[in-house]
Amino acid sequence: MDNSKNYWTGLDELDKTEAYQEGLENEFPAQQKVDEFLADDRLKETNTGRRDFLKFMGFSLAAATLAACETPVVKSVPYVVKPEEITPGVPNYYASTYYDGHDYGSVMVKTREGRPIFIKGNKYHGHQAGALNARITGSVIDLYDSSRLKGPVAAGQAATWDAVDAAVASGLSSARNVVVLSASVASPTTQRAINAFATKYNAKHVQYDAVSYSGISEANRRSFGSAMVPTYDFSKAKTIVSIGADFLANWLNSNLYAPQYGMTRRPEGEWMSRHFQFETTMSLTGTNADTRVMINPSDEGKVAAALYELVSGSGSGKVDGVSEMALQNAANALKATKGASLVVAGSNNPDVQEIVNAINQSLGSYGSTIDTSKPLNMFKGDDKAMTQLVRDMKGGQVDALIVYGVNPSYSWYAAEEFNEGLAKVKTSVSFSGKADETAARCGFICPDSHYLESWNDLSLTEGRVDLVQPAITPLFDTRQAQETLLKWAGVESDYYTFLRSTYNASYDMSMMYTDSDWNAAVHNGYMMAAATPVAEATVVEDASAEAPAASNLSAAINAVKKISGGSMQLAIYQKTAIGNGAHASNPYAQELPDPVTKVTWDNYVTMARSDMEAMGLNIYIAQLDHASLVKVTAGGREVVLPAYMQPGQKPGTIGIALGYGRGANGENIGRAAFQTAENGDHLTDENGALVPVGKNVFPMATMMGGYPVLANMDVSVEAMGEEYPLASTQMHHTYMGRESVVKETTLGAFLAEKDKKKGYASWNRMHALNVHEDTNNDGEINASDKKSTREFDLWHDHAVENVGHRWGMTIDLSSCIGCGDCVTACHIENNVPVVGKDEVRRHRDMHWLRIDRFYSSDYTMERGEEEGLGAISTYRKMEDPAENPQTVHMPMMCQHCNHAPCETVCPVAATTHSNEGLNQMTYNRCIGTRYCANNCPYKVRRFNWFNYMGYDKFKNVNPAQDMLTRMVLNPDVTVRARGVMEKCSMCVQRIQAGKLEAKKASAPVQDGAIQTACAESCSVNAIHFGDLNDQGSNVKKISENNRSYHALEEIGVQPNIYYMAKVRNIEDQEA
Amino acid sequence: MNLQSSRPSWGRKAIHGLVLLLAVTLTTSAFAGIFDEGDAANGETVFNANCAACHSITNEVVAAPGLGGISERWGASDELLVKWIQNPQGAAESGDPYIANLVETYVGVYGWMSAQAVSEAEIKDIMAYIKAGPAEGPADGGDVAACPTYDELQASDDNDSAAIWFLILLVLFVIIAISSTNIQRSVKNAHRESEGLEPLPNVSYGEAVRAWAWKNIVFVSIIGLFVTAYVVTVAYQEAMDVGVYEAYEPEQPIKFYHSIHVCENEVDCQYCHSSASKSKHAGIPSTNVCMNCHKGIKKGSRWGEKEIDKIYAAIGFDRTSGQYIEDYEQQPVMWNKVHNLPDHVFFSHQQHVTVGNLECQNCHGDVATFKGGRIAPVEEVAAYADANPGAGIIKLTKPTLTMGWCIECHNKAKVNVVTSDNGYYQEVHDRLKEGRGYEEMLRYMEDEKITVKDLGGWECSKCHY
Repeated sequence: MDNSKNYWTGLDELDKTEAYQEGLENEFPAQQKVDEFLADDRLKETNTGRRDFLKFMGFSLAAATLAACETPVVKSVPYVVKPEEITPGVPNYYASTYYDGHDYGSVMVKTREGRPIFIKGNKYHGHQAGALNARITGSVIDLYDSSRLKGPVAAGQAATWDAVDAAVASGLSSARNVVVLSASVASPTTQRAINAFATKYNAKHVQYDAVSYSGISEANRRSFGSAMVPTYDFSKAKTIVSIGADFLANWLNSNLYAPQYGMTRRPEGEWMSRHFQFETTMSLTGTNADTRVMINPSDEGKVAAALYELVSGSGSGKVDGVSEMALQNAANALKATKGASLVVAGSNNPDVQEIVNAINQSLGSYGSTIDTSKPLNMFKGDDKAMTQLVRDMKGGQVDALIVYGVNPSYSWYAAEEFNEGLAKVKTSVSFSGKADETAARCGFICPDSHYLESWNDLSLTEGRVDLVQPAITPLFDTRQAQETLLKWAGVESDYYTFLRSTYNASYDMSMMYTDSDWNAAVHNGYMMAAATPVAEATVVEDASAEAPAASNLSAAINAVKKISGGSMQLAIYQKTAIGNGAHASNPYAQELPDPVTKVTWDNYVTMARSDMEAMGLNIYIAQLDHASLVKVTAGGREVVLPAYMQPGQKPGTIGIALGYGRGANGENIGRAAFQTAENGDHLTDENGALVPVGKNVFPMATMMGGYPVLANMDVSVEAMGEEYPLASTQMHHTYMGRESVVKETTLGAFLAEKDKKKGYASWNRMHALNVHEDTNNDGEINASDKKSTREFDLWHDHAVENVGHRWGMTIDLSSCIGCGDCVTACHIENNVPVVGKDEVRRHRDMHWLRIDRFYSSDYTMERGEEEGLGAISTYRKMEDPAENPQTVHMPMMCQHCNHAPCETVCPVAATTHSNEGLNQMTYNRCIGTRYCANNCPYKVRRFNWFNYMGYDKFKNVNPAQDMLTRMVLNPDVTVRARGVMEKCSMCVQRIQAGKLEAKKASAPVQDGAIQTACAESCSVNAIHFGDLNDQGSNVKKISENNRSYHALEEIGVQPNIYYMAKVRNIEDQEA
Repeated sequence: MNLQSSRPSWGRKAIHGLVLLLAVTLTTSAFAGIFDEGDAANGETVFNANCAACHSITNEVVAAPGLGGISERWGASDELLVKWIQNPQGAAESGDPYIANLVETYVGVYGWMSAQAVSEAEIKDIMAYIKAGPAEGPADGGDVAACPTYDELQASDDNDSAAIWFLILLVLFVIIAISSTNIQRSVKNAHRESEGLEPLPNVSYGEAVRAWAWKNIVFVSIIGLFVTAYVVTVAYQEAMDVGVYEAYEPEQPIKFYHSIHVCENEVDCQYCHSSASKSKHAGIPSTNVCMNCHKGIKKGSRWGEKEIDKIYAAIGFDRTSGQYIEDYEQQPVMWNKVHNLPDHVFFSHQQHVTVGNLECQNCHGDVATFKGGRIAPVEEVAAYADANPGAGIIKLTKPTLTMGWCIECHNKAKVNVVTSDNGYYQEVHDRLKEGRGYEEMLRYMEDEKITVKDLGGWECSKCHY
């Protein structure tokens, strides 16, 4: 199967553009166009003459020599009173919970000397074994963000808590209408605090979510009489149909659904799920679908209706422009697995959701894949109440507004109206930790502590309470929002005591929590509480008292069928790293290449190739090609963004991501949220204001029946005739034309040869070479005499394959969803520098672990044979840039080859092989010849072009440049200097620590006791790490599985990393 | 604080009364009792092991009252004395008035003594030792005579002063020599003038030297050769010493002496550097660890109260009241780091101390003779190894704290793989038993031992990552 498909990472590679070919030849490409470089004004400023240069050099040399002779005096400062639990040099772990109104995850916080430095999942007690996503993993750095407020602010000036408390109290006491506007409250005790406050001031409580799911609640109210978002269980779903729901990256609790989904994607299991995705823009979920169908945003409801008709047999089930066969296949698959099917939709239109409910009902999904008895405590936002609030504010009917955990000036679709209303509120308070868009417009900012500094309880669903515990005392003079509320409510209690009181006999709880119970709960991060008192908000809405619509399916179907779209439609989506924009200033999130587009540090318009060609836009974005700027106009608003050619984008549609354009009025939300110039300074516009990364498209959402829907059915796109550089990593680090890295097959083909020995199945044949000896013992030497590449040795064998440890890794391409959490975890664990957009454009991204995203056309050799095409025509067909390609995500890092090509070319032996199978990189020995990177077939070595720690160019992007933010650095890993190579070390610091633990415990290293950062963070368990010489280890077993193979096996470098071939659950002819 | 004067006089009377009473009522043998039966020699051993950290056998207060004269003043029964040592709180519950008085007087100041795991026989030995009183020599016991004295330690500071004087003398000599030639010439010229001769031409020093050198060219060449060779050698040696910090001993904010703590008072290394067995860092003790002893020991033998007051200033302790000051803004002590490894070196104390069972002296030398923190030169460690053949010190030759020194040791240090009772090494051994592993084992055993190097101790990523 390996030769029957053609893989490419981007159109440039597929079309073999000139720029691509140039990049292919050049490992370290020309830095930039010469004329562009010479156009740089800064160049003219340099007037250092040759003699001056020599003088400086001589002086530096002498100074350096003298400095080297001087003993540096370093201070060593012990604790005055050492906390009992801290031993310097030994990490402590604290179980906690992450919730920001958008993501929910059970975390384990690693602290060193009291500083949180890493966040991993709470494996033993967390939801879905502590599954996280890149946003939660990267959140540790937000703690050290120097743009956080250092104390309370009144009218834009720093103030004291006493002054602010007094001023707010007087404002509140004279206010007639007080409103608390918060994100969905998932914390029982926070709700108690809000209630206490609301009781004292007779306040209203309005909840709203930046990305709203109120359509689902409303649909459930119509269908089942209770407005809620149910619990979904993807692990039981044998057939999944998603209509625009990116449930692996953004939709509802995506980080908890991903592992459930991952469980069903192993072909060795009893069954493998089948996944259909109907969507507009290629989402992470779409790339993982077995069958992906492109639809218009206006057709989401129609597809749902058609599926309903097909499943229930009540109609023809046709949608114009959507493949009939695909709809039929999806419906048939759903029906075939009745009781284990699941249909989800991303739309916030309650009509669409109501139809989806009906489909699920007729499939018997309720009770199996959907649990309505466990409504989520998240996503309780009420868009109608929010709309009403904005109306009231504008009417001057709100005297005091407390904004907690939301940023409506940025994320409310009608932000201008909100701002207009906010200006009329007499006492406005924000609890935001930063002076964000909303907080900057409020009279007072009472900064909330970071979640790593706070106590709290959270309840995802009833019956279980997850605890949030501080891992560090507040860095600044911040106060937990709940404590502020309690103080204003006149409750004489700190928040911790108040929290404890939720769980003892005096508060009506069915379980008593004694100190020891409580300590155990804090240790584990959760407790089972029979009843969790997340009360409804005290007063919610009163004005728009329309009679709630009863369930009327046919009305809903008629309504969605009436939705029509223009010639160009806009789908608004969320990116995996940036989400709703709350992490816009997180440099790790900005630098993480989007799993689908591989673009970093930018927002863009995804477009289909045909549309772009029709408009004459540049479809290639290799290093030397700039993207074309387009103006998108929707509902009277316009944004100018670069256009990006996205295979799989429905022609006639565009996609733009949320979460960009933060700080558009220069709000201080963090340096990484703003564009930087080539020299590292922030870009400024003609007024001297900072330029945010990307544009905000929240205002482009369409209001449909009072529900903001993230789409716009009629937009216009216009070429601007200007160019804009995009930094995409997809053309970086190519395999120099060797494309046998990916192996994949279909479920049918896999099952047919499931029991074949490793290396003999047609979809994973070992690579063999002809030899001049009689290997098959047939008495003659001929073409059938072959030997596996494994048996050819150019070098002396390392003994590692039998002796001592041999660290190895296995990566299952079938379950990897490409989410990028591993990349972020690796980034933080190994102090990998963030280099910023300009450097990424120069192919200098430093990620030790990258995820290659390969597209392949959906045309196969088999199909060519069936259609009676010759081999050449078939290949030509396969190279046709498929509009809707299949995708493979492949994590790629140093393969730790036992016959490593890099080791033999190093002139100073800075990269060598360890007797434990590791390809070691010794920074202090490296002189930076870069021969090793040239010789690496996998292109996984990274060169430190700069001193990222100190060079001015990186001051706005690299966290290690900031004295506060650098506290996040892992003290066990060297921060590399300029001029040295670096690459994946297989987290050797963790291996060494794990071995030491084993020695101390007087036991062999237990399988699974040592985990690399990537394996640990992988929520779908695609990555395993262990000792290949341990016969019982998981990696040993997986490496012997017949799906496992070495990437580029034919070059015989014998890596210690095994990949497992991807299996798609598709019929062969359908492919 | 003078305990003698602060003791209430009625207590003394009570003791005398009690002694009188005992003398009258008890038989002689019973009276001899607990203070006379034991073996003073053994008592000294037991005392030093269990009691000497806080008590002295004189009236000197260490961290708790001195025990000198206890045989005369003990006012309760022998049984209660045993109990008072084995279980102080239990003894207090007996209701005995003497004990009650002790509790009232001392517990408030020094806190409760922890229960001591000593037998009744051992207590008798201790009492005999106390009663016998201090032997000739220093009062605080221990092998103090072997410890370096203050003057010796001070003298080590003055090593450089001789060189400085020598330099000054040399400069003076050169100046005198130069000016004397001037004087010589002036005198000569004056003489020649008086004789009516032409004055000597005014040659520059350079010309004079050159003329002299030409005259003695063989001699100058030989000397020049030697000087050049010397300069090259010295320069080479100096260059090899760049980055070598042997004998580095920076000034510290507190004049802490290892010799007093380790040698005279025999405090175990890991009492203060407690994380050496638990972490990669040995750790500088936090101030509260200092206070474990210095809450009681308020006066040092070298600097009196001055240096110890710096501890109190850091943590907020009032030496007169013996109480911590509430709401004190504590200030950490800013020590100067002595053992500075570069950032790219990973070193774990835990691995060497806990797993490798190395003695601290292996790398740090005879710390008992040091003042503050100091990098022990490798020759000193080797000399210590020679003097203490039983200590299991591996003798090395490369300068301390250089990479050569690390890998030299990794090449010499044996790892007990074959008979180890550590499960980890048993597994290592199992994997060496057959096939390719056995070949490896034979290769390891070429030098007849399995060293750290054989198990990967010379590999880059052992220490560099």
